[in-house]
Amino acid sequence: MKLQIPNHLKKIRTIKYTPEDLISFENEVKKHYENGEIKSPIHLSKGNEDQVIKIFSYIAEDDWVFSSWRNHYHALLHGIDKQTLLSDIISGRSMSTNSINPRFYSSSIVGGIIPIATGVAQAIKRKQKKNKVWCFIGDMTYETGIFHESYKFSRNFELPLEFVVEDNNLSTNTPTKESWGMDKIDIPKDIIYYQYERDYPHHGTGNWVLF
Amino acid sequence: MKYLESLIYSMEWLGKKNDTIFLGQSVKYSGNAIFNTLKTIPNEKKLETPVIEDLQMGLSIGLALEGFVPITCYPRFDFLILACNQLINHLDKIRHMSKDRMTPRVIIRTSIGSKTPLDGGVQHTQDYTEVFKSMCSEINVVMLDNSKDIFPMFKEAYEREDSKSTLLIEHGDYYNDK
Repeated sequence: MKLQIPNHLKKIRTIKYTPEDLISFENEVKKHYENGEIKSPIHLSKGNEDQVIKIFSYIAEDDWVFSSWRNHYHALLHGIDKQTLLSDIISGRSMSTNSINPRFYSSSIVGGIIPIATGVAQAIKRKQKKNKVWCFIGDMTYETGIFHESYKFSRNFELPLEFVVEDNNLSTNTPTKESWGMDKIDIPKDIIYYQYERDYPHHGTGNWVLF
Repeated sequence: MKYLESLIYSMEWLGKKNDTIFLGQSVKYSGNAIFNTLKTIPNEKKLETPVIEDLQMGLSIGLALEGFVPITCYPRFDFLILACNQLINHLDKIRHMSKDRMTPRVIIRTSIGSKTPLDGGVQHTQDYTEVFKSMCSEINVVMLDNSKDIFPMFKEAYEREDSKSTLLIEHGDYYNDK
C-alpha cells in the first residue's frame, strides 16, 4: 500500500538526507553496537526510508516531533545533529532521544508520547502559535485506548496535531492484527499511514554481541 | 485561615499568574470538593476535561513543555493511580531522559477522600502518600496536614528555582473542620 497523506498537508521543507544517508547512519550505530560500545538496547530502522523522507517534507523546522524507541530516522530528519545523536546513542540514550532545538521527544513506553503531544498541541492552540505537533506511532500503539482518547480529544478541539502510523504489523515480535483478531487496520483519512517490512530485529542487530 | 480558606487563597494567588492553567474534571463545574476551592478562578483559566486521567497528566506535561504551569486536579488519590503512566514513567523521568533539557513544572493536586459525614469506601478514601514518595525520584511529594503550610507549599511549588513538579496531597476530611 502506498503512503497515505491527508489532503490538508502541504510540502514545506527540502530534506537533505537521502535513503542511503539514513541507512548509512544505522550501519554506523550497528558497528558501534557490535563492537560492544553501546551498553543499552538499540532499535534500528531500515526499510522505510522513502516514506519517512517524504513525510518530513511536510514538517516545519519549528514543529514538535514525538517518536518512540525506534527514533533515529525521525531524529535525523527533524534536524538533530548527526554527531550529537550518535553520541547520545553510544551513551545509552537511543530509546529516549530528546532535544529542545529542534523540538523532539521520544519515549520507550507504548503510547506514552501521545498524551504529551496532545498537551503541547493544546498549548500551541491556546497561545495562537503557528507551529504544529507530529506524533509517530506504530500499528500496535494505534490500537491502544490512549491513542483513541487522544485522537478524539485532539480532533474535537481542532488541535494542531498530526498522527503518523508506521505499520510493520509487529509489536516486538507479536503480529498486531493476529493479537487483536483483525484482518485489516482501519485508518482515518486525516492520519498519515504506510506499511513496511522491518529489516532489523525489534532490538539489536541480529548478531550476538559479547559485552 | 482554616484549611479550605487556605486552599482558596492559594488558588487565587496562582490564578493571578499569567502562565497558570487549571485542569481536570470539575474545575469549571461542581462535582467534587476541589471545585469549591476554584469557584473564584476565571473560567478562561480553566480547562474542564473528560474523565481521562492519564491523558490529563500528559496534557499537563505537554502544556508545561510549552511554558504553562498547569495545576492539574485529581479529586481523590484513588483516581490519580489511573494517571501513573504519565506521572511516573514520564513527568518523573523526563529530566533524566532529556539530560535536564526539558524541565516541565506541573503542580498536581489530589485529596485523600473524606470519611465523614459519609465514608466513600475503599475505592474513594485511600492514602497512597508513602507509595508515591517511594515511586517518585524527581517529583516533590507534599502532604498538606496543616492549614498554615498550605500557601507556602503551593507558593514553593510555583516558584522553586529547579522547576521540579510537586504533588500536593490534601485531606478531604479537613475541608469542613480544620
